[in-house]
Amino acid sequence: MKSLKQDLKAWLLLGTGLGTILLLMGSTFYLVVAQSFGLQNMYGEPSHFTFDYWQEVLSNPIFHKSFWYSVRVSFLGAVFSILVAYPIALWLRNPIKGKEFIVTFFRMPMLVPGLVAAFLFMNMISYHGILNETLVWLGIWEQPKSLQNDSFGWGIVILQMWKNIPFALILVGGAVNSLKSDLFDAASNLGSNSWQRFIYVIFPLTLSAVQVSFILIFIGALGDFAFYSIAGPRDTYSLARFMQMSAYEFEEWNQSAVLAMVIMLTSALASILITLIIRPLSVKRGAVK
Amino acid sequence: MNKIQSKNTRLINRIVLIFFVLVNFVWLVLPFLMAGLWSLVDPQHPWSYPDIFPPVLSFERWSYVWENTALKEAMFNSYTIAPIVSLIAITLALPTAYAFGRMEFRGKKIAELITLIPLVIPGMIIALFFSAVLIQLNINNPMIGIIIGHTVMTLPYAIRILSSGFSAVPQDLIDASRDLGASKFTTFKDVYLPMLKPAFLASIIFCLVKSIEEFSISFVIGSPDFITVPTILYSFLGYSFIRPNAAVVSIILLIPNVILLLIIERLLKGNYLSQSTGKA
Repeated sequence: MKSLKQDLKAWLLLGTGLGTILLLMGSTFYLVVAQSFGLQNMYGEPSHFTFDYWQEVLSNPIFHKSFWYSVRVSFLGAVFSILVAYPIALWLRNPIKGKEFIVTFFRMPMLVPGLVAAFLFMNMISYHGILNETLVWLGIWEQPKSLQNDSFGWGIVILQMWKNIPFALILVGGAVNSLKSDLFDAASNLGSNSWQRFIYVIFPLTLSAVQVSFILIFIGALGDFAFYSIAGPRDTYSLARFMQMSAYEFEEWNQSAVLAMVIMLTSALASILITLIIRPLSVKRGAVK
Repeated sequence: MNKIQSKNTRLINRIVLIFFVLVNFVWLVLPFLMAGLWSLVDPQHPWSYPDIFPPVLSFERWSYVWENTALKEAMFNSYTIAPIVSLIAITLALPTAYAFGRMEFRGKKIAELITLIPLVIPGMIIALFFSAVLIQLNINNPMIGIIIGHTVMTLPYAIRILSSGFSAVPQDLIDASRDLGASKFTTFKDVYLPMLKPAFLASIIFCLVKSIEEFSISFVIGSPDFITVPTILYSFLGYSFIRPNAAVVSIILLIPNVILLLIIERLLKGNYLSQSTGKA
């Protein structure tokens, strides 16, 4: 029985942990919103409510390039991470010798800090990296090519995959493992092949895990700083790098706050959009409740 | 027929396993081996194209980085801040985790969701505008700023892991303890605490690891004078790409973290991520 007294007691206990988060994140968030509209300015500049900073940022061609680049690589990173995680998750459903070791091995990249991951990757693809040298050694390339800091951002997509496949694997794998074998047996008895089982049974029932993985990987990638600033293209800034530069190098805190708002709003919008797209897919087959 | 099928299945499984080993060698093992190799390149004998392997291997680079860069200072800062952050985060998380793990109350779901905010807002946004909050509050000491920032970033993990620990304590044991006349304190000491040990250890380790590897807050609030291990690594990677030095610092940053996180993996039987973030 939930009583008012118990509610009060519980919320009092939440004060220490949740309260700290709310206080610090709240003040940080307040500053982002206020500064994006010209309020709470840094260094004692006069404050007044204005949309000028929004207008300035949103009409800046550098911002457009940065925005589409960040959205593109984050989207591709999230999609490819999930696409790779699916077959591995299905494979790991089978009884395999040394499965625990394999799973632990797969999780390794999750334990690697982003900066170190970027460095490891650079060693592989740089001019004097193992990939270049192997291709030259095999005679496929005559001389090494510059693969790092590519202008499309494939390097970042690969890095996002390297870091996020294990994460997608935990979520998708968890959903795949929770499916009962009866369902597969029933589908097989009704004459379905592996592909049909995947499309009509596995995929709809694991869509919620796909949704969560996609949203979290996309949000993480969209605001990432370390990968982009080390392995990203030299002619395009990521949103986070652009935001950091605006604040710390140009001391344009208001524009930086607008960029922070854009990152958060894009994340929120993407989450809503992906939920709206995925939800009907997971319930349209009727049998799945 | 069955025999043929099982032979085929075995063959397919073997092929899949070989493919798995090969792909993972290139995807996971090789990058680490390369980092190890780069850290062993002798400073007097640079490794450059077209050499497939370094001409001379030595530990010179390790002693060079240790003696001639600010690594010692960075390690001192990182390894001082992390325990302080863990201690503060766990102290703050404990009452909240108890409420989440053992109590039913209105707004619990929303409160649990709000706890995860620091995990979904990008680190650089938190770093930049939290530093702006510090400037407005006239808090000029970078160490204090970093400790506060890291505490907020680690709190969601500490709360989630501890609340999982609290909810795992069987109610029967608590009832039995209370029926036998134990006070609330005795029940906490003799029932809760022994069962919470793995969760405590896991949260301490998680907070340590997260604080040691956190980059954005340390970089923004600490720059230019206060350095930590990730910020010194960034200086070798970002401003001037000094690969052997970066290799040494990467390994220093990586190995303790991997060991600590493998301990958590054992403690929480591989479910730490879902338990700590509530994402699964």
